Amino acid sequence: MVDAARRVARMARGPGQGRSSFTKSRAEEQVADEPSAGTPLLRVVSDEFYPDWEAVYRDNVARVYRLMFAKVGNRPDAEDLTAEVFATALRPLRVSASAAEVRAYLLVTARTVLAGHWRRTLGREVTTLTDEDSLEAAPADAPTSADTAGRAAAMLAQLPESYRRILELRFLESCSVREAATAMGISVTYAKVLQHRALRAAAALREVSE
Amino acid sequence: MSRRGARRFVADLLRGRRPRSFRAQDTDVDDLRAAITLRSAQPGSGVPREEFVADLHQRLADQLAGKHSTEDAEPVRPARVDTTRRRLVAASSLAAAAAAVGAVADHVLTTRTPAPDGVAGPQTLVPNTGSWRTVAASADLTEGGVQGFDLGTVVGFVSRTGGALRAVSGVCTHLGCRLALDVPTRQLDCPCHQTSFALDGELLRHQLRVPPPALPQLEVREADGAVQIYAPPGPA
Repeated sequence: MVDAARRVARMARGPGQGRSSFTKSRAEEQVADEPSAGTPLLRVVSDEFYPDWEAVYRDNVARVYRLMFAKVGNRPDAEDLTAEVFATALRPLRVSASAAEVRAYLLVTARTVLAGHWRRTLGREVTTLTDEDSLEAAPADAPTSADTAGRAAAMLAQLPESYRRILELRFLESCSVREAATAMGISVTYAKVLQHRALRAAAALREVSE
Repeated sequence: MSRRGARRFVADLLRGRRPRSFRAQDTDVDDLRAAITLRSAQPGSGVPREEFVADLHQRLADQLAGKHSTEDAEPVRPARVDTTRRRLVAASSLAAAAAAVGAVADHVLTTRTPAPDGVAGPQTLVPNTGSWRTVAASADLTEGGVQGFDLGTVVGFVSRTGGALRAVSGVCTHLGCRLALDVPTRQLDCPCHQTSFALDGELLRHQLRVPPPALPQLEVREADGAVQIYAPPGPA
């Protein structure tokens, strides 16, 4: 009973959609069962419990997706890998584990799924989920993690102006080669060459900084 | 030799496509990693598509409800997955991870959850601290009438049908957009995704994969010639 009551812990985070009436109705039923229903408990967030798998999903799907996007850089793969994480993790998951434990488990699953992805597609682990990656770091609805944006900005800041510009136009602003060339007042052919050199330079920077 | 593979990988990333597989060399890895870092910093890239979130939710619900047997093992991933690998992964490292989290209790997860609307009955908002706040004069809310209100803490619509008063929240239960009253049809329309609710809060129409729950009810009464809602105190 105590355990059941603890599980009604309110979801303090998650996308708006996450607070379904189902979650609330469960909470209310169980609060009503409690003899001391007159004094509602304030739940501590770190002691959160999920009422069911749907709550696990709603609270974490955007977090897992963002993490995966940061590691693969494209939507189709990020979606597939997110799906694989939940499909693999939900069945053996014990919902009475705390929210923090559930996230830790999702992260371990995500690490395995990502490693498998690279093994399957390129035969090299291009990116990995490390101990620095976390599902808690940013609120679930942040558009990009501050971490991701920060790393890209730091990388760009070290490059010469023309390199920085072509990479910004192509990667961050999603311009076509032609649009980028026009914006920079250079030929399309030269824009391609410049982009290639700039990416090589950016890659070399990373080797030094790591 | 693999330079071309790496270039094509980057070109695919820039087109937002799934990059094609190739046998990468060690020398390619840094380029690819730099491209991924840059690409994932594009604004908005970290937010999953709403259709994806709803679709995956449905597929997981089907999977957990046992519509597909475990042996099929393909309900969620598209066909390109290597099943052997899946089983291997499931059997080894993940089992260990699951053990670390705790014992397996499959039934907790597979219990069919009630439909989000209906089964649990409509929710009624009863704030911890509230008071009866006037939203209209009784005389202004005649039979069949509807009136919107904004109490700062709560917004909603109050209506009188068959002599009875009823008040519902004016916020869409999908993603929180404010509903608008469509006078001719007497329904509450969401400006975001074409969801519509009846004045009693029931869901009338939606285009979402998972139906959003009915609108929460608010407590309403008539006193001293005024229609009042029980709501938290807040900005006037």
